[in-house]
Amino acid sequence: MTRGCSDHCTWQRGRTPRPTMRSTLLIVAAVLGWALALAGNAATPAVDRGNNEISIAITQEPQWLTTIRATDTVSFTVLDHITEGLLTRDVNNRLVGGVAERWELSDEKATFWLRRDARWSDGEPVTAHDFVFAWRQVANPENAAEYGFLMRMLPNGEAILAGDMPPEALGVEAIDDHTLVVHLVSPTAYFLDLVSFITFRPVREDFYRAQGGRYAADAENMISNGPFILTEWVHDASMRMEKNPYYWNRDAIPLDAINVPYITRDPNARFNLYLDDKIALADQLQLSAMKMALQQHQKLRSFSDGTVFYLGFNHREGRPTGNRNLRRAIQSVYDVSELTYKVIGVPGNLPAYTLFPAWLTGDEGQSLNVQYPPHKPELSIERGRRYLELAKQELGVEEVPPLSLLLDDTANASSQAEYFQNVMARTLGLEVRLDKQIFKQRLAKMSAGDFDIVAAGWGPDYNDPMTFADLFVSWNLNNRGRYSNPEYDALIREAQQTTDQRRRNAIFSRIQDIIYEQVVVVPQYERGYIYALDKRVAGVRRYHIGGDPNYNYAYIVESPRAPESAD
Amino acid sequence: MSSYTPTAADFQPLDAAREGDRIDRPSLSYWQDVWRRLQSNRRALASLYIVVGLLLFTLAGPLVWRVDPALQDLEQVSQPPSLGRTALVVADSAPTTSLTHTAISSAAASRDSAPNKLRLLGTPHSEGVSLAWDPLPGVEAYQLYRHEYPPRDADDLGLPLVKLMPHEVSYRDLLRLETRQYYYSVVGVYDGEEARAYTTLPVQVAQAILFSEAQYRGLLGSDATPESVVGSSIRLESHPLGTDYLGRDMLARLMWGARTSLFIGICAPLIFVSMGLAYGGLAGYSGGRLDDVMMRFADFVIALPFLLFMILFKIAFGLGPGESGIGPMLLALVLLSWPATARLVRGQVLQIREEAYIAAARMMGASAPYLVLRHILPNVMGVLLVSLTFAIPTAIFTEAFLSFIGMGVVPPTPSWGSMCNDGIRTMLSHPHELLFPALFISSTVLAFNLLGDGLRDAMDARMRSGT
Repeated sequence: MTRGCSDHCTWQRGRTPRPTMRSTLLIVAAVLGWALALAGNAATPAVDRGNNEISIAITQEPQWLTTIRATDTVSFTVLDHITEGLLTRDVNNRLVGGVAERWELSDEKATFWLRRDARWSDGEPVTAHDFVFAWRQVANPENAAEYGFLMRMLPNGEAILAGDMPPEALGVEAIDDHTLVVHLVSPTAYFLDLVSFITFRPVREDFYRAQGGRYAADAENMISNGPFILTEWVHDASMRMEKNPYYWNRDAIPLDAINVPYITRDPNARFNLYLDDKIALADQLQLSAMKMALQQHQKLRSFSDGTVFYLGFNHREGRPTGNRNLRRAIQSVYDVSELTYKVIGVPGNLPAYTLFPAWLTGDEGQSLNVQYPPHKPELSIERGRRYLELAKQELGVEEVPPLSLLLDDTANASSQAEYFQNVMARTLGLEVRLDKQIFKQRLAKMSAGDFDIVAAGWGPDYNDPMTFADLFVSWNLNNRGRYSNPEYDALIREAQQTTDQRRRNAIFSRIQDIIYEQVVVVPQYERGYIYALDKRVAGVRRYHIGGDPNYNYAYIVESPRAPESAD
Repeated sequence: MSSYTPTAADFQPLDAAREGDRIDRPSLSYWQDVWRRLQSNRRALASLYIVVGLLLFTLAGPLVWRVDPALQDLEQVSQPPSLGRTALVVADSAPTTSLTHTAISSAAASRDSAPNKLRLLGTPHSEGVSLAWDPLPGVEAYQLYRHEYPPRDADDLGLPLVKLMPHEVSYRDLLRLETRQYYYSVVGVYDGEEARAYTTLPVQVAQAILFSEAQYRGLLGSDATPESVVGSSIRLESHPLGTDYLGRDMLARLMWGARTSLFIGICAPLIFVSMGLAYGGLAGYSGGRLDDVMMRFADFVIALPFLLFMILFKIAFGLGPGESGIGPMLLALVLLSWPATARLVRGQVLQIREEAYIAAARMMGASAPYLVLRHILPNVMGVLLVSLTFAIPTAIFTEAFLSFIGMGVVPPTPSWGSMCNDGIRTMLSHPHELLFPALFISSTVLAFNLLGDGLRDAMDARMRSGT
């Protein structure tokens, strides 16, 4: 920088006034405070066996710690510890009763019978009214909840979201304190899965109203019905969650507290904290950190986070990418295996040939990808060039104009894009221009249609292929390339009307074919991470959906296994 | 008593030129003197050589080192400096030797046995390592690991590569293979828990290149066919300064990156120093009210924040995606950096204007252009040159900084700053990717600064006696 004040001049500025007694005292106090803060951090090691608590780091300050508005993974992670839905997941990731003891799902409605011992952290019982209130708030356009669209599957949900009806009209009712009836617009096979999602958790009306708009703004404005209570929340700095003594299933929760002494976005910083025994889990290790971990003989684990990354095309009128042959040309030359293994190079990432990730299940519990194997495009530069020639003729141009590739402004996204740019230049002679934008701006440009190709990803909202499949129906607002295909729309409508899982899977297979044949998108990879977990901690669950990682059932191992010699 | 009688010769004047007054040495002009004194300043001279070398590196380098800076050599990603490795040519279609096996009944499942006969299928090379092992009865899955060091225990098996179904007893590892020793381990998974027993196989990976890739890069003769060359060894391109995270040649990128850096570093100062000269010269020469007004305007421009303007220009230019930010950067630098030079020149001119020789020249009827060109400008030149040499490293550094934060060049165009930004990610594992561009930035900035220092000393007439 040529202008701007350097460190040097701030130092001088701070030095010029002669320090008075008072400011000296202030400085001493500040230094002491800083030292104390450091000492405070040092007092919480990664694993505190004596107090039965662990320390972790989160990647950013949670945006909203209310289930009504939360959208980001960090908020989900915290909320998943302090709230519980009608259904929840057990140690083995199976769907089990949470607040609901029993339930019944039919094509028209779902009925939940709530357990009588489910209580809030102030001892009050959790009732069906709490769910009704929470869901109405989600649908209420005043709250502008991003996940409000989920309420469209309840009667009047759509009209309430549009502001045409009062939230009270939502098709959910509390028959009595312990019976909840949810009406459904159409049969929803995955509804039970859905009610375990964060957005469907309860909120107590009297407590919510008593906070006067400050609900969930601070630790004291929160009430919890989950395994933990948020007891401290220093914004942008630290958090602490303690075990909820009123939680009905408290005996199944091993830890007494979870400390969050660090909030840092930098994965290398988190890895260093892990090495310093400050946190128990270091997530998203980068290539250089991985090498360091190997050098230090750390135990590493891999986890696929369920998100599929793809190159989306702009199908709007007037865009060259609206031409199918151009998209086929790109599909014919782009080697996603090379991208995944050589450019990304982090184990856990899988080359993707379909929008449906490998963890989705088909009939009889096998993977959907095994039951309906995706097409792998046969890579051929000649074929790509042939398609390109056809595309040029159809577009009536001598040369395809430079294509803009919209991407996130991160180092990883950038190196992937540079690889794509290079492949296009050397195989098809296409010029690709990179348009790096911060996440929000990328979404805005996607919505505005200001791109030719976009490097995007989609994470699941519920455990059903539909969460991916309906991405490109003409009415989905997340279909930002404006792909429109009557057959696709009809298939999705049909899948939404039936609960026959076999039929639905067959439809998803057809969707998979359409996406391949029409090159709606070019799938790139399923994202995976390498992470390091402290040897003294076990039972940490990793999720594709909602908050991840989850420490509800985490426990401190009695004595870490002594090193064994190889066989 | 003798007396002297003067002769006529005694009254002849002596020769006008006296021996002692003759200028014996060749006369030195001001610039010759500057050059002489610069030469005696070894630091400055070394810096000058560095600057000249850098210009050669930038302008002539790409003519000598004809490597495309955008070429991605994915066989050699993040390689340290090396000269032409040899590589094995391998066929494009990998041999599809995948073994499958019908799961053995779990009746006699021992939960703590490791898979037997972990072995290689084919030659292990950087395009793929194929492994197979004997099936284990009763496993739920196999977990395959890869380590760069010998594993110590079951908790230290390295990178978890893949989890395989019980019927899959082979795997082809493609994940970023370097030419080094790897330790592959495989363990059985029972009920979601990995067994403690494991089998390890050390594998030495050889450098390889796909036939099509070698052909594309012109490493094979034109008549080469897969049959004739597969299995033979060829020499890969050498990368004297190593490669970056996409296998691009660092030397070529540094050369091309220098073009961006030096373009900004030299163009911007040249333009804004000339602007400053004209502006400051006019203000200083005319003096009075005009001088006041002009200098207050210069003060106003100095107060404008550079980074903000850089961003504003970028928006005002309506730059589309993938368009370089070099234009706005140049404009912002030029528009906001001239006042420093203008102030300097004005001060100098104000001083020179009042000198006696100017007054004398004016009295002898010298015109204003003559005064400016003959007397004022040459006297300002020294100060100006020094300010120019100091402006160059500042501009280079500004460019590097802006490219570092992603506001300068766009990929694939390299610049030293953006290369540093790329290199910082792999700082721990592949330090050369950060080290080289950082070294170039620092040595360039240092060289220009030392040269400027030397020039200032050499041009200062008051220091003349000292040297």
